[in-house]
Amino acid sequence: MTESTLKNVGAGQSPAPTGSAPRPAEATSGSPRRGAAQARRRRTSKLIRPWALLAPGLIVIGALLGWPIIKVVLLSFQNYGLRQIVSGTWNFNGGANYADVLGSAQLWQVVLPNTVVFAILAVTATVVLGTLVALLLAKLGPILRGIVSSVIMIAWAMPAVTGTYVWSWIFDADAGIANQLLMSMGWMDQPFNWFTNRFTFYAIVLLNVVHHGFPFVAITVLAAFLGVPREHIEAAEMDGAGPWRVFWLIVIPQLRQVFAIVIILSTIWDFKVFTQVYLMPGGDGANRDVLNLGVWSYTESFGQNKFGYGSTIAVLLTVVLLIVTVIYARTILSQEDGS
Amino acid sequence: MKSIPWMKGVTLAAVASLALTGCSGGQPNADPASSNPSTPANAAGQTLTVWIMQGTNPKADDFLADVTSAFKQKTGADLKVELVAWSDAHDRFTTAMAGGTTPDVAETGNTWTPEFAGAGALVPIDDYIKASNLGSDLVKGLTDAGQLDGKQYGMPWYAGVRALMYNTEMFTALNLKPPTTWAEIESAAAAIKAAYPDKIAIAVPGSAEMTVYPWVWGAGGQVASESGGKWKSELDSTASQEGLSFWTGLAAKGYSSASATTWTEANVLESFAAGNIGMALMGSWTPKTIVQKGPEMEGKFAATPIPAKTGGIAPSVLGGSHLSMFSTAKNKDLAWEFMKMMTTGTFAEQWGAQAGYFPGQKSLLEASLKSSDPLVAPFVKQFVDGGGSVPVSPAFGAVQAKKTTVTMMQSILSEKQDVAAASKAAADEMTSVLNAGN
Repeated sequence: MTESTLKNVGAGQSPAPTGSAPRPAEATSGSPRRGAAQARRRRTSKLIRPWALLAPGLIVIGALLGWPIIKVVLLSFQNYGLRQIVSGTWNFNGGANYADVLGSAQLWQVVLPNTVVFAILAVTATVVLGTLVALLLAKLGPILRGIVSSVIMIAWAMPAVTGTYVWSWIFDADAGIANQLLMSMGWMDQPFNWFTNRFTFYAIVLLNVVHHGFPFVAITVLAAFLGVPREHIEAAEMDGAGPWRVFWLIVIPQLRQVFAIVIILSTIWDFKVFTQVYLMPGGDGANRDVLNLGVWSYTESFGQNKFGYGSTIAVLLTVVLLIVTVIYARTILSQEDGS
Repeated sequence: MKSIPWMKGVTLAAVASLALTGCSGGQPNADPASSNPSTPANAAGQTLTVWIMQGTNPKADDFLADVTSAFKQKTGADLKVELVAWSDAHDRFTTAMAGGTTPDVAETGNTWTPEFAGAGALVPIDDYIKASNLGSDLVKGLTDAGQLDGKQYGMPWYAGVRALMYNTEMFTALNLKPPTTWAEIESAAAAIKAAYPDKIAIAVPGSAEMTVYPWVWGAGGQVASESGGKWKSELDSTASQEGLSFWTGLAAKGYSSASATTWTEANVLESFAAGNIGMALMGSWTPKTIVQKGPEMEGKFAATPIPAKTGGIAPSVLGGSHLSMFSTAKNKDLAWEFMKMMTTGTFAEQWGAQAGYFPGQKSLLEASLKSSDPLVAPFVKQFVDGGGSVPVSPAFGAVQAKKTTVTMMQSILSEKQDVAAASKAAADEMTSVLNAGN
C-alpha cells in the first residue's frame, strides 16, 4: 500500500510539480476535458500526499501504541488472571469489570476526590510557581540566569524516587528536620506522624510534586517570554501601560499556546502520579485514606493478578484524560480563533 | 503415572543430544543404556536456566560459580543463573508466564508457590521427592507452604523466622531478663521507657505484616482457617483481638514511637542498628545486617523466642523460599537434579550458613540445633518449636497485595479505629479475598 501511494504521488507530481503555481496556466492551455482530468488527478494526489508522508509515522505509532491499546480494551472485558496468562485463553465476562470499578464506593469517596483535588492544586501551584520563576529568570542577567536555571535543573533532574525519599526523611516523625524544628520552636510538644493524616500526607506529596515539576514550566515559559517581541512591550509602555498591564495584556495573550501545553501536560502527569505516593510511608495502600487513582489501580489489580480489572481502570483513566484534554484544547483554540 | 510418557521423551531427547554431541565431544561413559532416567548423567550441551533472588546471600556469586561447576561435572549441562531482585521478581514472573519464557527452575518466595501453582505454571514434584527418598527429611512448615490441593510444588530450600530481639546493653543496665510472658514484655518496656525516655522501648511497626501474626497466635487466635473449601478469617475472634490489643496497646502506652506507625521492617532494622530500640521482632537473617549498619552494636544484642501470652512460645511465620520447577522446563529430570543439589547436602548447608537462614532439610537443621550462639540458638528454638505459616492459599498473595493486615495495624496505631472495628474490617476483607478465587 505504501509503495502504491508513493507511486501516485510521483505520478501526480510529474505533470504539475507544485500544487498552486501552475493553476493560472491551466485555464489557458489544452482542451477543457483534458484540464478537468488533470485537475481530478491533482485533487486525488493532493488528498493522498499528506497521508503518504504521514504513513511511516502512523505505521510505527499504530504498531507501538495502537495494538497495545486494542489489547487493553479487550482485556478490560475479561476476568483475566495468572491462570489465563499461563494458558493463553480468553475469559470474557461482559462488562462486569466496568460495573465493579464504577460501583466501588472507595473509588468515589476516597480515590477520586484525592486524585482530582490533588491534580487541581498541583497543576495550579506548579504553573503559578513556574511562571513566577520564569519571570524572575527573564529579569536576571546572563550569568545569574545561568546559575539559577542550573540550580532549578537539579530539582528537575532528580529522580522521583530520590525526591520522595528526601521529602519523607524531612518529615519523619522521630528524626525529621520538620518535626525537630517545630518542637524546638515550641510549636509542638509531641512528635507528629505527618503520613497518617490524609491532608498532611498530600501536603507533602504536593511539595514533592511541585518541587519536581515547576522547573519544566519555568524553562518552557521562559523560552516563550523571550520570544515576545520587545517592540510590542515598548509600544505598550509608550502608550502608558504599567508593568502589570503589559504582563496581562501583551505578554500573557502571546503565551496562550505555551500555557495550554504546559497545563495539559501537568494535568496528565499530576492525575496519574504514582511513585511520589506509593513510596511514602503508608502510601502503598496501607493507609486507605490516602489512596489515589494510580496506587489504587495498582493494588486492586496488578498486585492481585487481576489484569482485566486493571485494564478497565486504565481504559477509564484514558477516556477521562482524553475528555479533559479535548475540552481544554478546544477552549484554547476557540479563543485563538476569536482574537 | 502420568510422568512416564514424558520421562521417556526426556530420555530420548538426552539420547538424541548425546548422539549429536557425543562424536565431537568425545564424552566418556557415553552409553545411554547405562544412564538412569532419573539422574541424567549426560546432559552435555544442554542449558538449564535458573532464577535466584538477589540479596539473600551476600556471597551469592561465588556460591553460584561453585554450583555451576559442580552441576557441569555431575550432569554435563551448563547452568545459566540469573539474579533477580525481590522487588520486581513477581512482575518478572508474570511477564515471563505471559511470554512463555519462564526459567526451568526458580526460587519462589513461599507465598508465591501456591499462587503460581494455582495458575498452572509449576510442575508437581511429589514423584521426584519420593524417588529421592527425601519425603521424611523436609522441614514441615516449609513443605506445607509449598503444597496445593495435596500436591507438592515447592521444594523447601531455606527459611528464616522472626523472634524477639533485644538490646543487651539496656537489659543489663536495668537488670532485666529476656521476657517469657506478655506481662514481662510490658514491664521490661516500662522500665526501658523510664530509663531512656528518648528511645523506643519496643518497636510496634505499622507496615510490617509478619510482626503481627505471632501476637494473634500467641493469644490462641488464628489468622484464617479453611473448612470444606471455604476460608474464614479469624482476625476478629476474641483471642485474636486480645493479641492485637496487647501488641498495639504497647504503642498506645507510649512504648513505641509516632513514626513507627508507618514503619516497615527495614525501618525497624535501621533504628535498632542505631541503638535506638530496646526490643523488636526481627528475623534470623538480620544480625549480620545490623552489625554492618551499626558496627558499634556488635555484641550488644541478643534474641529470645517470642513469648506466648502466659509463657511458652508464640508461633512466628517461617519466611523462606522454595525451588520450583516451571512447566516450561524442557528437561525435567535435569531440573530436578539441580533442585536436589541446591536444597540438600553441602550446598544447602553452605547457602544457609552464608545467608543466615536455616536449611529446609531436617537432617541439616540438626547441626544448627546444637549451636550455642545467642543469635542463632533462640532462632532455632523458635524455628523448630514455634514455626507458623500464613494461610496456604493461592489467594493469600492478593490479601498481602491489598495490605489488609497492615491497613488494620495502621488504623489502630493512628487511632482512626479501635481494635474491634479494625480487626472486624480486616477479617471481612480477608475472608472475601481468600474466597474470591481466581
